[in-house]
Amino acid sequence: MAEREPLFTWTMLPGTGKALEVRKGQVLRIEQLEGAQCVDFNCFNLHDYKEFMHCGRTRTVHGFNPTKGMFLWSAPPRERAMMYVIEDTYARNDVLFPRCSAYLYESAYGFHTHTNCHDIQSEAQREYGLTPDDVHDSFNIFMCTEITTEGRATITRQSAKKGDYIELIALMDVLAVPNVCGADIMRTSNFSLKPIKLEIFRATENEIAAVPQTPVLRSQRTPEDFTNSAIKATRELVADKSYVARFPNTPIIEQEIVVDLSAEEALCLDRLARRDLYGDDDGAALRDIVFSWWESQFLNAASGAPQIAKT
Amino acid sequence: MQERSVKLRLNQQQLELLQRTVAGGAAASVVDLVRRALRESAPSRGEKPNG
Repeated sequence: MAEREPLFTWTMLPGTGKALEVRKGQVLRIEQLEGAQCVDFNCFNLHDYKEFMHCGRTRTVHGFNPTKGMFLWSAPPRERAMMYVIEDTYARNDVLFPRCSAYLYESAYGFHTHTNCHDIQSEAQREYGLTPDDVHDSFNIFMCTEITTEGRATITRQSAKKGDYIELIALMDVLAVPNVCGADIMRTSNFSLKPIKLEIFRATENEIAAVPQTPVLRSQRTPEDFTNSAIKATRELVADKSYVARFPNTPIIEQEIVVDLSAEEALCLDRLARRDLYGDDDGAALRDIVFSWWESQFLNAASGAPQIAKT
Repeated sequence: MQERSVKLRLNQQQLELLQRTVAGGAAASVVDLVRRALRESAPSRGEKPNG
């Protein structure tokens, strides 16, 4: 297929969101109709809502501002690439800030009711039987954030223009839930709420082929692998009297290895040893040196990020 | 500076990682791998150690 096939169009009005089924190989475009409007975004595996996009995982892999060429990852123990950003004309997105909530607008501004991303997401997700507790941390699209030298995250005004868009290709069947951010009294969307255009296309073969391959690992577990795969149906937490702990690789047992160092190697150890951390414990200092060296030699994926093969 | 024996304590996971590295050809044994790490981590002249 050389041309994209348009499948769906929707105008998302201020104060609203929309739950969308985006099938594997389809592209969701989120576009500015007027400009300068932040969009919060949730994403679930359409066939198992317990697998959902995880901002923590995504920012560990790609940093605080995911954009073109990056993936949206699901939470452990699934840790699968759910969607891939194939275009992003503004390229200012955020995975630091949580969604805004009713509590924020009441506590800071005195509103009993105010548009907020959590409640908009809840209402949009309700179409698929999800509850307010199922809303997860959002991928904040068209949102400009910065980290201050004091280590705090801040939101700045933005300059996304009419026609700016981001496109996400689904790598599995997902329920994608964008919403117009409800923050009209903050600088997030320059103190106003504007509509957003949503479109779904069937991707071209070239677009699908251009998505980099991600590793398929045994550690990417599914409910079939869980010790307990039943979804809990009651709210009360009660201990299972038959529970027996089965933590993997336990007990952790240390083994002593004697390393005879030459005079030259002993000198190396003394020059390298982190005495500030390990004092006169040569073994601990040597262990630090060995694994630090190992990281420098063999760890090809920073921060635990999977190595993504180029296509 | 004198020769010295150091007791390196590794848990089973740490040891497994080093043994797999040895099996991959990085050294003849875990002890040799430790020595290699030490040599290759040594700061060159003028470089600040303990970084």
